[in-house]
Amino acid sequence: MAANVNGPVAHHFNNMGQQLATVRMGMWMFMATEILFFGGAFCAYAVYRLMYPKDFEAGSAALNVGIASVNTFLLLFSSLTITLAIRAAYTSRTKALGRYLCLTTLLGVAFLGLKAREYHMDYEEGLIPNVSTLSPEAKEKHAARMAALAAEGDRLEAEAKTKSGSEAAELRERGIELKARAAQPPVAFNENVKVVLSHNKAFKGRPLDEQTYDVGTPSAANAHDYDPFKVQLFFMFYYSMTGLHVLHMIIGVGLLTWQYVLTRRGFFDHNARFVYIEVMSLYWHFVDMVWMFLMPLLYLTGPHTAGEAIEMFKKSVGMTGGH
Amino acid sequence: MAVDEVPIPKLDYTPQTIPEPEPTPEQARTRRNYLNHTTSVLSWLLTVDHKRIGLMYLVAVTVFFLFGGIAAGLVRVNLVSPHGAILELDQYNKAFTAHGTIMLFLFLIPVIPGVLGNFFVPMMIGAKDMAFPKLNLASFYVWAIGASFFLWQLIVGGLDPGWTLYPPYSTKYSHTNVLYAGLGIFITGFSSILTGLNIIATVHKMRCPGMSWGRMPLFIWAMYATSVIQLLATPVLAVTVTMAAVEKVFGVGIFDPTIGGDPILFQHMFWFYSHPAVYIMILPGMGVINEVLTCFSRKNIFGYQAVAWSSVGIALVGFLVWGHHMFLAGQGYYLGMVFAFLTMLVAVPSAIKVFNWTATLYGGSISFPAPMIHAIGFIVLFTIGGLTGLYLGTMGTDIHLHDTYFVIAHFHFTMVGGMMFAWQAGLHFWWPKMTGKMYSDFWSRLAAIVMITGFALTFLPQFVAGFQGMPRRYPNYPPEFQVYNILSTAGATIQGFGYLMPVFYLTASLFFGRAAGNNPWKATGLEWQVPSPPDAHNFKDIPEVYFGPYEYGVPDGLRLVADGHLGKKAVHANGAHTGAGVTNGS
Repeated sequence: MAANVNGPVAHHFNNMGQQLATVRMGMWMFMATEILFFGGAFCAYAVYRLMYPKDFEAGSAALNVGIASVNTFLLLFSSLTITLAIRAAYTSRTKALGRYLCLTTLLGVAFLGLKAREYHMDYEEGLIPNVSTLSPEAKEKHAARMAALAAEGDRLEAEAKTKSGSEAAELRERGIELKARAAQPPVAFNENVKVVLSHNKAFKGRPLDEQTYDVGTPSAANAHDYDPFKVQLFFMFYYSMTGLHVLHMIIGVGLLTWQYVLTRRGFFDHNARFVYIEVMSLYWHFVDMVWMFLMPLLYLTGPHTAGEAIEMFKKSVGMTGGH
Repeated sequence: MAVDEVPIPKLDYTPQTIPEPEPTPEQARTRRNYLNHTTSVLSWLLTVDHKRIGLMYLVAVTVFFLFGGIAAGLVRVNLVSPHGAILELDQYNKAFTAHGTIMLFLFLIPVIPGVLGNFFVPMMIGAKDMAFPKLNLASFYVWAIGASFFLWQLIVGGLDPGWTLYPPYSTKYSHTNVLYAGLGIFITGFSSILTGLNIIATVHKMRCPGMSWGRMPLFIWAMYATSVIQLLATPVLAVTVTMAAVEKVFGVGIFDPTIGGDPILFQHMFWFYSHPAVYIMILPGMGVINEVLTCFSRKNIFGYQAVAWSSVGIALVGFLVWGHHMFLAGQGYYLGMVFAFLTMLVAVPSAIKVFNWTATLYGGSISFPAPMIHAIGFIVLFTIGGLTGLYLGTMGTDIHLHDTYFVIAHFHFTMVGGMMFAWQAGLHFWWPKMTGKMYSDFWSRLAAIVMITGFALTFLPQFVAGFQGMPRRYPNYPPEFQVYNILSTAGATIQGFGYLMPVFYLTASLFFGRAAGNNPWKATGLEWQVPSPPDAHNFKDIPEVYFGPYEYGVPDGLRLVADGHLGKKAVHANGAHTGAGVTNGS
C-alpha cells in the first residue's frame, strides 16, 4: 500500500473503483482472521472461567481497574478521533486529517503508557505466575502469620504435656503439623495475590489454603473463597490476552504514525487515497473492540467499587502515596 | 471485411474467450515472456509477479517433499524388521515426526495453493495479477522463514512428539525442539492466512468482464473454498501455539495436565484447525481434477453447480467435525455422537464430487496422457480413502481402529492417493503452460503408472495390518505383521522411484522438450488462450468471457463464437488480436 509513483491506480487494477473495493475487502478479511485468532484465546478463557469461576473472580479482583477504566475511555475517544480523521480525508481537509491522526496516535500512546505502568505495578506487587520473590508487604504479612502459626504450634505442644492419652497425642500432632507448615517456604505468587486482594474492600473471598491452618477456628465457607494457586491461571490469560492486544496496539500506533508522516508529505492530497485511512481505521476500531471484550472479561469479573478504582488510578499515576 | 470471408479453424471446443494467435517461429524466438523479460537474480527474489512467485514455491516445496520423503523412507525401512531394522527408538520417533510435520506443513498445505493457485488463479479469471501482489511476495518469504525454523529444528536434533504435538508428549516428555517447531508452525500459518486472503480478494474483485461466478473454472471454486478455511482456521492454531508458548514461559498449565492444564482443550483447539486443514490439503486437488477430467474426456463437467457448491459445503461442514479425532480422548459420549453424525454429513459433498466426475467420464472421448492417468488414479484412490474414512467416523468401529495402521492407510489414501496425485495431475497438466515446453509422453505416463502401483502396494497392506490391530507410531510390532510391512516397504520403494522420475524428465523437458504451443491440450480455459509461457502481465488486453469453462465437444466451436454469439461490442473490443480471424465485421 505504499506510495505508487504511477498514480493511485496500481498496475494490476483496471480502475480506481476496483482498487478501492479490493483494499477494503482485504482489510475486512484480515479482521475475520483476527477475530478467529482472538476467538481462540477467548474460547480457552471461557473454558477455564467455567472450570474455576471463584478463582477467576479473585484474579479479576486483584487487577488495577482504575487504569483499565481510564484506558477504556481513551480508546473509545480514539475511535471518535479516527472517525473524524476519515471524515477529514473524505472531504480532502488534509490539515484536519493530520491533526486527527496525531490526536489518535497520542491517545494510543497514552493507552500504552498507562498499560506499561499497570504491568509495572503488577510486577511490583509480584503478580507474575511462578514468581520467586515475595512483595515487601507479602513478606511481612507472611512472616507474621507463620510466626503466629509456629507460636500456636508451640502452645499446643505445651498444652499436650498437661494432658494425657489420646487427647495429648492429638494435640501434639496438631502442634507439629502447624510448626511444619510454618517452616515451609512460601509460594510467592500465592502470598502476593493474597496481599493484593486484602486491599480490595469489595472482595469478600478468602484464600482456601489458609483455612485449614489458620490460628483459631476456621470460619464457615464463603461462596467467594479462592485457591491462590489457581488464580495463576487467570493471570496467564490476563498477560497473554492483554499482551496480544498491546502488540496490536503497538502495530496500530506504528501505522498511525506512518500515515501521519504520509499526510504531511501530501500523500493524501490525492483524494482517492482516503481508502488507506479507512482501512487503517477499521483495524483501529477492531483493536478497540477487542479491548471492549477484554475489559469486562478480565477486569469486571471480580467486584470493584468506584471509589477503589479512583484510588487505584490516583496511586498509579503518583497522585497519592501508596498504601 | 465480413466474418464469412475469414477462414475459421474447426475446433471441437469453445474457448472462454477469443484466443490470441499462435506466435510465428520468428515471434517465438524473440518474444519476451514472464520468465525472461527481466533476468537479474534480484528481479526474481523481489518479484511481485504471481507466476514467478508460483515457481519459487514450486522449487521450495519440492525440496521439502524430498526431505519428508527421506524421513518416510527411514520409517519404512525401519519397519522391515519387527524389532526395528536401522533406527534407535528415539530416532524412529524423530523420523516419523519429521515426515509428518514436513509433509503437512511444508508440502501438502502450500503445494497447490502456493504453486498452482498462485500461478493460475489470476490467469483463469482473467486478471493481471493477484489482488495484493506485494502481500503475495511477503507471504512467500514468511513461509520461507517459518520453513527455515523447521529446517533448523531438524539440524539441531529433530522433534519427537508426532506431528499433532499433543501435550504432555510435546511438553513434559519431549526434550526436543518443540519451540522451534512451534515457531515454524506459527509463522508458516501466517503465510497460509495471507495466501488465502489474497486468493479470496482476487476471486471476488479481479474477475474479468463476463467471468461470472457461474463461469468460473471449478478449480477457482475449490481454491476459494480452501482459502476460506485457511483464513478462518489457521489463526486458531496460531493462538493455540501462542498459548502453549506462554505456558512454557510461565510454567502454569493451560494444556499440560501435570501443571494443572487441560490436554483435551489442546486437542480441541488443535483439531479445530487441523481437521479443516486436511480440507485445505484436499480441496485444491479436487479442483485440479475438474480441469483435467473435462479436458481429457472432452466433455462439459456433469453438474457444475453441484460440484462448485460441494466445495463450499466441504469448507463449511469441515469446520464442524474436528471432534471425530477425539472419540477416545474423553470428550464425552453425546458429543462424540454429534461429531460422528457431522462426519457422515461431510462425506456427502465429497461423494457428490466423485459421482459427478464419474458421470463426466461417461460417454466422453477419453485420452490418457499423464495428467489424465493421475486424475483417474486420484478418483479411485481418493474414493477408497473416503470410504474407509466412514469406518473411522463411526464411533463403534473407530474404537477398534483408533490409532492403528488403518488410520495411517486411510489418511495416506486421501492425502497421497488424493492430494499427491492431484498435484501430479495439475503439474503435468499445466507444465507446458508454465514453461512453454512439453515433457516426454512415454516417461510421464510410465511414472504415473509406477506411482499408482507403488502407492497401492504401500498402503493397501496397511489396511489389513491395521484392521488386525497393528498400532501406529510404534517402532516394534509382533512378527505376524511382518509380511504386511515388507509389502509396504517394497511399495514405498517403487513409489520413491516413481516420484524421482518427474524430477528428471520434467527438468530434461526444460532443455530438450519441444515447444508446447499456446494450447497443447486444446483446453477451454482463459490461461490456455495466451502464448506459453505467458507474458509478464498475462493478457495483452483484459479478456472478456463469453462461455462457461468447459464447453468441450462443441463441433466447430469457434464458429459459434464468430457467428454472433458474442454480441457486437465483444467482437469489436477484441478484434485487434484475434488470431482466429474474428474481426470487427462490417
